[in-house]
This record gives sequence, structure tokens and C-alpha cells, in this order.
Amino acid sequence: MPIQTSKETTALIVTITGRMDALTAPEYEKKFSELIAEGEISFIVDFEQVDYISSAGLRVLLATAKRVKAVNGKLLLANITGVVKDVFEISGFCTLFPTHDSVASALSASLG
Amino acid sequence: MIKIDHLSKSFGNLEVLKDITVEIKAGEVISIIGPSGTGKSTFLRCINLLDRPSGGSIRIDGVDILDPKADVPKVRQKMNMVFQSFNLFSHLSVMDNLTLGPIKLLGMSKEDAGSKAVDLLKLVGLAEKAESYPDELSGGQKQRVAIARCMAMDPKIILFDEPTSALDPTMVSEVLSVIRRLAKAGMTMAIVTHEMDFARDVSNRVLYMDDGIIYEEGTPEQIFVHPQKEKTKTFINRVRSFTYHIASPDYDLYAMNAEIETFCDKQILAVKQRYNLLLIVEEMLQIYNPFLSKALLDINLAYSEKKESLEVVFESTGEAMNVLDKNLLSDELGLTLIQSVTESIDYQRLNNKNRVSLILKKQ
Repeated sequence: MPIQTSKETTALIVTITGRMDALTAPEYEKKFSELIAEGEISFIVDFEQVDYISSAGLRVLLATAKRVKAVNGKLLLANITGVVKDVFEISGFCTLFPTHDSVASALSASLG
Repeated sequence: MIKIDHLSKSFGNLEVLKDITVEIKAGEVISIIGPSGTGKSTFLRCINLLDRPSGGSIRIDGVDILDPKADVPKVRQKMNMVFQSFNLFSHLSVMDNLTLGPIKLLGMSKEDAGSKAVDLLKLVGLAEKAESYPDELSGGQKQRVAIARCMAMDPKIILFDEPTSALDPTMVSEVLSVIRRLAKAGMTMAIVTHEMDFARDVSNRVLYMDDGIIYEEGTPEQIFVHPQKEKTKTFINRVRSFTYHIASPDYDLYAMNAEIETFCDKQILAVKQRYNLLLIVEEMLQIYNPFLSKALLDINLAYSEKKESLEVVFESTGEAMNVLDKNLLSDELGLTLIQSVTESIDYQRLNNKNRVSLILKKQ
């Protein structure tokens, strides 16, 4: 699965590459569940290398956001651009999730 | 004038014309259009008895020309044919090409035939080429001579078999303008053509042939603007399509996406439009997923070059049901995405199938 993580003081940066579609979504959901089970509560998801997202991908984010909220954590999204951004806007997910232009900006926000 | 009933023609096991019934009235200009290989030229050749029909009847002014006693040369005098490849006698001058038939077959005097030939050459704008030989003429000029030669026999109808398809584009219009002139003069004509604008302008009636039958017929307005049947619409709108069959919930999404991408490449669709197309297909498949174990699903993509529109049609077996009915959906996220990238969504129950048609927004 094209997913990489790197630990910062205030959050775990999760970098996703490629597609978040009906086939990959279950794997992403499982990965986020495992990370939460391991004790991670704050995430910054970097979308810079995501080139496709469908409702299946959005549902993963929604389910993860609920789990994170239950443990008083945060789910921040960064680098959402182009056609992927269009899907976020159409679906209203832009207003559901705090989105940031860069991982650095998301990290600053995660401090608060 | 010509009444054709249940005409059929097979070459060996190949059934080219299946069942053609049509009537051509005096003064009518009929265009015969359709994809290549659907029997249009064979149809004309059968009318003219260049190919002997396998079945049915052709009556000209009440006389059955398929009757073994019919006088075929006499029949051919009534309806002359203009061919794609001109078929002029290359060893004869233009004048001799025009006068040979009238003198030999109609018994005209050389003077009368010559004087008529001059009039006809004036009609097609080639009076100064009377003494030239076919090899000295351009393709467009040869075809105009061929038309004049047809007229020299005083036919009741002229059959044109793709009269411009062997010509350079620059010469098409001179030939078409001669045919237009004949139409205005009230000549009865049946024209097999791929020149759609011409067919639309010049004809009283258009026959759309497909798969050996007259699939749809009507006025130019009916056929070119409001075609009713699927294949006619596809042909008229120069639609290129691609169908993917899904027979199980374990379909290969990526293999299908690869084929959709290939289709998009061929149509040179914009990146955004192909993204939206892939999104629609995936979202629809997610919605269809619970039903895929017991239903067959066909996904048809159709790009109309003329309208520059992209349509996706999902056709599924099973009981009547609109899968996009909000009451059937567990949430509306997929539907929201679909609606945002489409300009229309239409559901129909057709031939015992559920048919959802979506037209993508233009970019």
C-alpha cells in the first residue's frame, strides 16, 4: 500500500500516493485503525501525491475522523489540489475537514 | 414509379440485403446513408440488376423486372447509374462517350445525339471538353461527364453510387452542384452517399441502412435532426462508443479503468473529463455493487464528436429499479459526486432492463 508515515512532535504525518478508490479504501481504513490502536491520535494526511479520490476514499477520511475525535485527537489534511480538491469541494468535505496548503501549515495548526 | 418488396441478396452464405421494402416516387430525391458494408451499394446494384436479387420483387411502373421474361437492357435504359469510379470508355472522346448509348440503344441519329450531348455538356459545365479524352480530365470532370452520359439516355431515375468518394476533396463540390441542379430540375434520383450535408440539403427522403435493412427512414429533418432509433442516432452524431460487461461483483476495476482510459485517449478527452468519467463509473459501480451477484451490467460510453458530448449508459438486468433512487441508497455521497459532474441523469425501464443514462458536463 503506498502509504508512508513520519512522526513529528505534535502529529503523525501520513503521506498517501496514488488513488483512494473503492479498491484501496479498505486498506487505508485498516491502516488508520491500526495507527489509532497503536496510540496515535493526531494525523496530518498529505495529499500532494494523491491523483484520484472517490466517495470510497472520502468515507475512509470520515470514519477516521470519527475515531480520532473519539480519542480527542485531530485529523488535518494538507496539499489538496487539482481534481482531488474539486471532489472535496463538490462533496462539502472542504467544510468538514480543516485543510491546509502545506504540511508545515498543518503542523503549526496542530500545535493549537 | 419503383416499388421494391422484400428484396434480399446473398453472396454465398453472406446475406447482404435481408428484407428491403421501399417505394420511390417520380420526382423524389432519395439519399441512402449508413455505415460501410451495410448493403447500400448492393441495394442500388440490385435495383439496376447489375446484381441479381436473391428474393423479393422490383416493379417499375408496374412491371416486375425480376420476371425472367423482363427485357433487362430496356430496364437499364430507364434507370441509369453513376459509379464511384466513373466507368467512362477511355478510348472514346467525351462526345463519343455521350452519344454511343443514344445511337446504339435508342436509335438516335448521330446529329441528334451530338446536339443533345452538347446541351448536356453545357448543363454539367464541360461544353469545351467535348473532344477531350477521359485521361485528359480531372476526377471531378470525369464524374460530370459520367452524369451527362447518364442523362443522355433519358433515364427515369439516376442511381448514384457514392459519386464523390473517389474524388479529391477539392472536386467534390463541382460534382455535388451538378447533382443539385438535376434535383432542382425534378430528376428522380437515389443517391448512396457519405456526404451528410449534401444528403440533408438535396433529398426529400433519407433511408438509413444498417445490417442489410432500411433501419430508419424519414425526411432529412427526421433523420438528421430527430433520429428515433439507436443506431441512426449513433451514426448521425458520429458517436464512438465502448461497452464493458460486468457479470460478477468481482469485476476488475483497474482493467476496466485501463480500457476506459484507452477510449478517452482515442477521443482526446481532457484530463478533467476523463477523471469525471472514471469517477462516475466507480461511483455507479459502488451503488450497483449489492446487485451485481444477480444482475448483468453493461456500461456503454459514447462520445459524440458532433455534439462534443460524453454519455455513459448503465444497463442492468433484474427487476425494475432506479439504483439512484435516494430511498435505496445508504448515503448520498456517491450520488452527490455523480450529480455534480453530470448535466443530466435519466432513468428508463427499457426492454426489461434498467437503463440509467448520464451525460457529463462539458469542460
